Amino acid sequence: MRGLLKYLSPFAPDQSGATSVLYGLGGILVICDAGGCTGNICGFDEPRWFDEKSAIFSAGLRDMDAILGRDDKLVAKLKKAVDQIGGDFVALIGTPVPAVIATDYRALKKMASQTVGLPVIGIECKGTALYDEGAQSAWCELFETFTPDTAGGTDSKVLGIIGMTPLDLSTTHPQECMALPEALKGYDDLYCYGMGAGLEEVGRAGCAARNLVVSPAALKAARDLQKRFGIPYETGYPFFTEIEKERFKALAGKKVLVIHQQMAANEIRSIIEKAGGSKGSVTCGTWFMQDQEVMREGDVRFTTEEKFREYVLTSDFDVIIGDPLLRRAIKEFKGTYMELSHYAISGYEGM
Amino acid sequence: MGAYFKTAKELAEAGKREIPQEFQSKEHLIYSSPATLSFNSPGAQGFGVKRAGLAVPGSVMLLVAPGCCGRNTAISAVPGEYRDRFFFLLQDETDIVTGRHLPRIKKAVKEVVDFLETKPSVVMICITCVDALLGTDMERVCEEASAYAGVPVLPCYMYALTREGRMPPMTAVRKTVYALLKPARKDPRAVNLLGEFAPFSDDSELYDVLRSIGIETIRELSRCKDFEEYTHMAEANFNIVLNAECRPAADEFNRRLKIPSIELTRMYQIDKIARQYELFGSAIGAQIDVSAYEAQARAAVDHFTARYRGLKVAVGEWLNADAFELSLALLREGLEVTDIFGTITDENFVYIKRIAGLRPGTRIYSNLSPTMLNYACAEGDIALTIGKDAAYYHPDCPNVPWNDENKPFGFAGVTELFKRMEDALERRSGR
Repeated sequence: MRGLLKYLSPFAPDQSGATSVLYGLGGILVICDAGGCTGNICGFDEPRWFDEKSAIFSAGLRDMDAILGRDDKLVAKLKKAVDQIGGDFVALIGTPVPAVIATDYRALKKMASQTVGLPVIGIECKGTALYDEGAQSAWCELFETFTPDTAGGTDSKVLGIIGMTPLDLSTTHPQECMALPEALKGYDDLYCYGMGAGLEEVGRAGCAARNLVVSPAALKAARDLQKRFGIPYETGYPFFTEIEKERFKALAGKKVLVIHQQMAANEIRSIIEKAGGSKGSVTCGTWFMQDQEVMREGDVRFTTEEKFREYVLTSDFDVIIGDPLLRRAIKEFKGTYMELSHYAISGYEGM
Repeated sequence: MGAYFKTAKELAEAGKREIPQEFQSKEHLIYSSPATLSFNSPGAQGFGVKRAGLAVPGSVMLLVAPGCCGRNTAISAVPGEYRDRFFFLLQDETDIVTGRHLPRIKKAVKEVVDFLETKPSVVMICITCVDALLGTDMERVCEEASAYAGVPVLPCYMYALTREGRMPPMTAVRKTVYALLKPARKDPRAVNLLGEFAPFSDDSELYDVLRSIGIETIRELSRCKDFEEYTHMAEANFNIVLNAECRPAADEFNRRLKIPSIELTRMYQIDKIARQYELFGSAIGAQIDVSAYEAQARAAVDHFTARYRGLKVAVGEWLNADAFELSLALLREGLEVTDIFGTITDENFVYIKRIAGLRPGTRIYSNLSPTMLNYACAEGDIALTIGKDAAYYHPDCPNVPWNDENKPFGFAGVTELFKRMEDALERRSGR
């Protein structure tokens, strides 16, 4: 049945993706919910939350707030919080409650901006979509709001990396394992948007010489930056450790299915193919966005548990590389299952 | 600004009708710190609605909601014994606006039942804010699903929107889990303990007290090994309500099964515990002697205070106690409770007034206030924290989390708490 999960559990939703992009940028992040969604984000999808304080708040909506659409009350609460603790910007992040009552985010943004005197961005999440959709909106809003058109046109030696979130990278310390390819070495500065770079760097994003996109959720923003400032971009995923790479290389010559977010899966394919030449075959699969520009014929996107089972169990892969949780749905698979965490699926960090 | 607080004296003088807005969660954004996670989300940690709904032996749960509502129930996040008991029917954008998912629920229930090797005792359908707003008649949906799938089907309402309403989620689920009981012949020597989803501590004198007055069978939902045993809860002569959130469930027991109830409160003031047992005895017409347990608790407290009188303590609310009642108990025993992280209610305001009389300068904070972002963690001269949230604010202090799943009660709770306080301090001093 469509939407029924008997083996798996829900993946990270859009509001988690949006929060993940904006986390740590010094803003006040308001999840427009009653409390449960914020609990899910903080307690599950945002591993950084346990280690560092962050201004993530629940709007604390109650039934009458939703029924009567009391946006003015939310704005008053927001104003009070800004007066009490300050902040560089405000982000209003949606959930199912505002989706059901059809909250007008543009009006809410305008009202909030006029009242609190800070830039306000609104990410219209619904809780029904996956994390990459929320992340995509947040990446676009972030650069649109905080990167002025006047920021471009210098000859800086800055490499921007767009798409870094724990949900995409399955680690909170990606810099520790980051190994840029030769072609991307030699830049004076790295702006790791999402995990490291602050709002100031976002403001200078138009000066970057090149962008590296590490998640399909960030492609749209990279294309926007290309249009606005002429910054070229390429895709990649320079976060696998040497040990991981060796394990992938050992699969050369086999028929492999790699299931992850598209950039990570493509990187694994590239590693295996470089090791094995034309022997074997590698198919990339994903539950998330699949950008045509970086996919190959035969790559697959899974939309339901049933179709996933059917695809895997009727194919003859020797090896599947995927998140540990996915294995529950394909216990009958006879080949080798190599576990590789994808935080947005299971919430597990690391390999 | 720094973290907002009021002293006990300021709050007591203002009165419970003038509680500052910063202590009223509906009046401000709600801060999310690890300290608040367990109680700010009805499904987040511990026994949230989802896990609580599975308290009925042999039950499974179908969460009908947008994916986001089930995220913290990711298979990787729930304890092993629950992993094969959660199923999800995800709502899409059209569902949450039109309610077109409703006819699919009965089919999903049947598919889940057919999928399972053992037929479940009941399928709990957990629904969330979306259906609260859609006004879904879940009772009817469950009746229809039950007829279609051939198993009992019950609703669990995870309506975070109604947290401060007449029937908050955790109160509602406490009622739901007893809904399958049917009238049965009464056993005069049987009682039920209502209120929690994990057993009360085995060492609580409450069990001995009940046996001393002729009770032979003491049942708790969490100790029922199977559905058959669960059904015998309908035979109780009376119920003992040990958590106020279980009052509506107790009312339902009385209405439907003709089982009356009596309420006992978990406290840490020794004289109040003794008085409560005295009143309990009077109410049921029995002589109850708790002097030995009382002496044991007194000895544990005296042993501790002989060494640590005047110790500065911070008390949180993520623990098996009312933060204010526990603070009052500690103050009465000669400890200095300097900080309390708590939620003020009509019920516990009385303790604040008494705290103000003993130590007017005690600072009272709201865990949910946005200003807690600026709480100066690890500062001050606090020597011990009690409660997991208090440990978050003072990470370098010895801490007694006091939030075990098995619930302490009565004198035994006092004895154990003071023992753990001493252990925590001695561990720190390396003794």
